[in-house]
Amino acid sequence: MRMDFRLSEDWNQDFADMATVEETDLRYYVAQGDVVLGTDQTDLSADWGWIPLVDFALALREIADALSESEGSETFEFTESEATLQFDRVGDKVVITSSYRPGEVTVPFSDFRKQVDEFARRLDKELLQRHPELGLNPDYQRLKLSRSH
Amino acid sequence: MRAWQFQKVPFVFPALILFFGAGCMIPIAYGQGVTQNVGQQVVLTRWALRHIQQRHWPDSPAQGAGKFAVGITEESLREMINEAVANGRPRENTHGRPGEIYEYDFGRPIGTTINGSPASRLRVVISTRGQVVTAFPF
Repeated sequence: MRMDFRLSEDWNQDFADMATVEETDLRYYVAQGDVVLGTDQTDLSADWGWIPLVDFALALREIADALSESEGSETFEFTESEATLQFDRVGDKVVITSSYRPGEVTVPFSDFRKQVDEFARRLDKELLQRHPELGLNPDYQRLKLSRSH
Repeated sequence: MRAWQFQKVPFVFPALILFFGAGCMIPIAYGQGVTQNVGQQVVLTRWALRHIQQRHWPDSPAQGAGKFAVGITEESLREMINEAVANGRPRENTHGRPGEIYEYDFGRPIGTTINGSPASRLRVVISTRGQVVTAFPF
């Protein structure tokens, strides 16, 4: 399974001081881009350019946490549409489907967990490289994108 | 009795000025519209309005986002948001996002979904500060 992102170039024009951006802005307006998600056979990518990637990383981490305990289902709601991603834990696997593209992706839960953590870690690294002042932002720091288990 | 009424006047008059003046001051000073929900004020800032226009206006090129019907105006958007927040079904925002979501079915098309189908419902996200974060048809 591939889980990756592409940061858009134009979202940061509205944020002069990334050190003071608040949590709601971080989860709705900052670091927008595309989500790449799928396999060689199935593409569930959301290439709309406006996905708030910090929010996506945090939400998927919460979903992985919820599914780590037992079988169940979790739904990710995109921030600006009715589109959803569905995550179903079946045994030691996770089945991912979407409301906007056909097909499903099945992946071992351990791989899913690893990909989710790696997505957040890479995003954190890239954002801090592009905007070092985020390192001074208390709300951003509190979200702990690069947390370790 | 007469003395008590006389003393009350200096307190009542400024209070009336503040009460009636506040509703005007917010939109004029900060460019915001304020509506009164049951025990909650919802504010549509210029920032949020611009965000909604960029994502969800009929002529917005944004992919994968619900769109309002042609003819939407700032005023009619405010009215729809007010109605959705006053009468819609609230729920907690999802997966750790701060704030609340209100959803309301207008029973008539108000725009289109991401696949172009008619949409009659409005989803409004309200921050913990009572500000509109986003609003779109679905």
